[in-house]
Amino acid sequence: MAASKKKWGKLGKLTLAMLMVGTVVLSGCSSSESGGESGSGDEKQVTLKVEIFDRGTPPSPYTVTDNYLTRYIQDNFGTPNNINMEFVPIPRSEEIKKLNVLMASGGDVPDIVFTYDTPTFNRYAEQGGLTELTDLINEHGPDLKKFLDGDALSYGQYKGEQFAVPSKRAFLGKYSSFIRTDWLEKLGMDVPQTTDELYEVLKAFKEKDPGETGGKVIPFGMTIEPAQYDPLIWSFIEPTTEEQKYTLTQKLGSNDYPTLLPGFKEALQFMNKLYNEGLISRDFSLDEDKKQLYQDVQNGLTGFLTEDYPNLYYDEGTYDNLLKNKPEAKLEPIDPFTNSEGKRAKPQYAPNGMYIMIPKSSERSVEAIKYLNWLSKPEVLLAMQNGVEGENYKMVDGIPMAIEDAPQEIKDRLHNAGADTSIIANGNFVGTEEQNREKMTSNFPERFQDLHRKAMEISMTDTFLPINFDRPIEAEGKYGTNLQSKYEEMIVKTAMAKPADFDKTFESAMKDYMVSGGQAILDERTEAYNEMKSK
Amino acid sequence: MRGTVYLRRYWQLYALLVLPLAYFIIFKYGPMWGVQIAFKDFNFFQGIGGSEWIGLEAFREVFQTQDFYRTLRNTLMLNSLDLIVSFPAPLILAIMLHELRLAWFKRLSQTILYIPHFISWVIIGGIVYQVFGTQSGMINNVLMSLGFDSVPFLTEKNSWLITYLATGVWQSAGWGTILYLAALTGINKELYEAAEVDGAGRFKRIWFITLPGLKTTIVTLLIISLGNMIAIGFERPFVIGNKAVLEYADVLSTYVYRTGLESGQYTMATVVGLFQAIVGLVFILGANYASKKLTDESII
Repeated sequence: MAASKKKWGKLGKLTLAMLMVGTVVLSGCSSSESGGESGSGDEKQVTLKVEIFDRGTPPSPYTVTDNYLTRYIQDNFGTPNNINMEFVPIPRSEEIKKLNVLMASGGDVPDIVFTYDTPTFNRYAEQGGLTELTDLINEHGPDLKKFLDGDALSYGQYKGEQFAVPSKRAFLGKYSSFIRTDWLEKLGMDVPQTTDELYEVLKAFKEKDPGETGGKVIPFGMTIEPAQYDPLIWSFIEPTTEEQKYTLTQKLGSNDYPTLLPGFKEALQFMNKLYNEGLISRDFSLDEDKKQLYQDVQNGLTGFLTEDYPNLYYDEGTYDNLLKNKPEAKLEPIDPFTNSEGKRAKPQYAPNGMYIMIPKSSERSVEAIKYLNWLSKPEVLLAMQNGVEGENYKMVDGIPMAIEDAPQEIKDRLHNAGADTSIIANGNFVGTEEQNREKMTSNFPERFQDLHRKAMEISMTDTFLPINFDRPIEAEGKYGTNLQSKYEEMIVKTAMAKPADFDKTFESAMKDYMVSGGQAILDERTEAYNEMKSK
Repeated sequence: MRGTVYLRRYWQLYALLVLPLAYFIIFKYGPMWGVQIAFKDFNFFQGIGGSEWIGLEAFREVFQTQDFYRTLRNTLMLNSLDLIVSFPAPLILAIMLHELRLAWFKRLSQTILYIPHFISWVIIGGIVYQVFGTQSGMINNVLMSLGFDSVPFLTEKNSWLITYLATGVWQSAGWGTILYLAALTGINKELYEAAEVDGAGRFKRIWFITLPGLKTTIVTLLIISLGNMIAIGFERPFVIGNKAVLEYADVLSTYVYRTGLESGQYTMATVVGLFQAIVGLVFILGANYASKKLTDESII
């Protein structure tokens, strides 16, 4: 396998070199076992360049651009279609910056690029750097259209033109809350069902210190990342009219922010109270990557937190480490934040994931759409996400279950399986919604699967979708990043203010936010809403 | 005629200049081509040449932004405080080292003092959090175990300023002594001996011999620092700063990073960069002129 691939790679380079010199004398030297790549002679082999995320060193003998799945793609899509697949690595952590440089360079840009960042997509589309895809999809993408059924495709439109293929999310849940139930038992308290009950529990955690932390207890683990404050803040937002929802929400980056919605100030006031009573992490403004949060949870200092629903339950993850330090610990999903209607309102993901784009300068747009179409065939998706039946997985009730005791080298085949390689799918698609969820749960260690199931369910309880306008709000692209920073500054400052100074602090922070672009976004959204209504 | 003879004789010295000159042309003058982005509605895909001219529109927009003034104020504030606190530090340290008589102890101290200069700001940031954190920082742990209240070194803006300045001194003071120590070796030893014979004490010797001997170096470094008043490194405020103290920690370089690299508004970011360069030039020429008038020392 590896040897033939190497040979094939060399041959591909040779082919390219020859094409460049302008000599097409290929038929003689193409008798390798990969077979048929340019044997017919009349069709020239082409190269399709596809972006791939570089997340660090993969298990040996693989590399980021040459591994089981890239070879699978070459052998099953590339070779039969006379296409040489070339993967262009982009470091995950500086994805947008690198992509900007690549796009600006013009000639060397991959034929397929992608990003999760809405403003980046909007900017490329606005500046005319992307290929319009409607006709290409209609002609070459029947399976792709079927896969992105319903209105999923519309998320890739910019001002009515199809400038991206959106990837599809299998599961839309976002957040769950978690509490140390062993602490509750110790205090003889019930699992809190409302925000008020939660507040009582947090106070008891602080005063009675059931974890025996020696005064270091952090009743509510907080950071300056959305997952830690979003669930709390959104639960304070009052029921709103449709008009308020559209005009008063602010979309910064790829997320909706409730800055102007009624109830936002009360949410911050509650956080101010929690902070001043010592119920949330004192240094939360310093924790921009959840590192301190995880450390505190693992050391058994944290009593309650909100987080992206699956994050605590990975093998060797946060909960595992907590159990190593405190074998008696129990960290279970709960859903305590209630709004004024008694609902557990929280945001969920839009059905789209990445924006997959074909730069205008690409000459391989047909092949690119063919590739995306091939990726969305159910049998391909199954193989790309689960490997080989009997070796990597076996079918149980229609769900491909990973074989846990498979040899490591077999498991390593799938080290980059998922949205990094099956770029059109975010999460596992194996059948019905129920089956998808079961499959995703099966990716977690068996001891945590029940907890994971529960967290998943909570993450989808009383959720609401992001607001989607039929045209982009330009002010959001312009001021978004800056306003995100202002928003975080507002949260930190109002939380840390003395209770007596809260109003003053809130007003000055809000004023700063509004003049820094908040007002411009509000005006543009109001205009866009009225326009939409008058249609 | 004399010129060619001169050149033929010393051509090796000029050849040595080729590499540094190439460096400045390629990395300092070459990128100036991109300055025109400040006057254009920069479009990624059309490149610099293909983008439309918009005159001074971007300048007008930047000068209307509140954040620009906040970051400008912070840049000047942090740099002036740095000048007051961090500028004399290497000088004092160098004189102290100079006064040491034990050679091995002097060398050891120098090495220890240089080390922080080689630690990247990202790592220093991590250390600072561990040492100065409110909840889990070393200093506050000690304070609290002694029964004192914790001090928000990193999250209250005024205490943060002190942390910021102190970290700067710690990181750069040792390294900054090098130029002074080099200048100190140039001072004639006999002057000290003569002064000693005349009965001058240690402080008199420092005041009448060491400091005058360092005057040129001090003035040169001061002019350079004044030229850098408006420019500020990115890493230090970005790493040591945090959301709670953004009111002081947000400076021009972090602002350029946010608007340019993160939001992709290259025009705005270039405007700010150009503004910094022009103000920096005015500062350095002004300082040079003033120094020439006052002390007869100047660098141009």
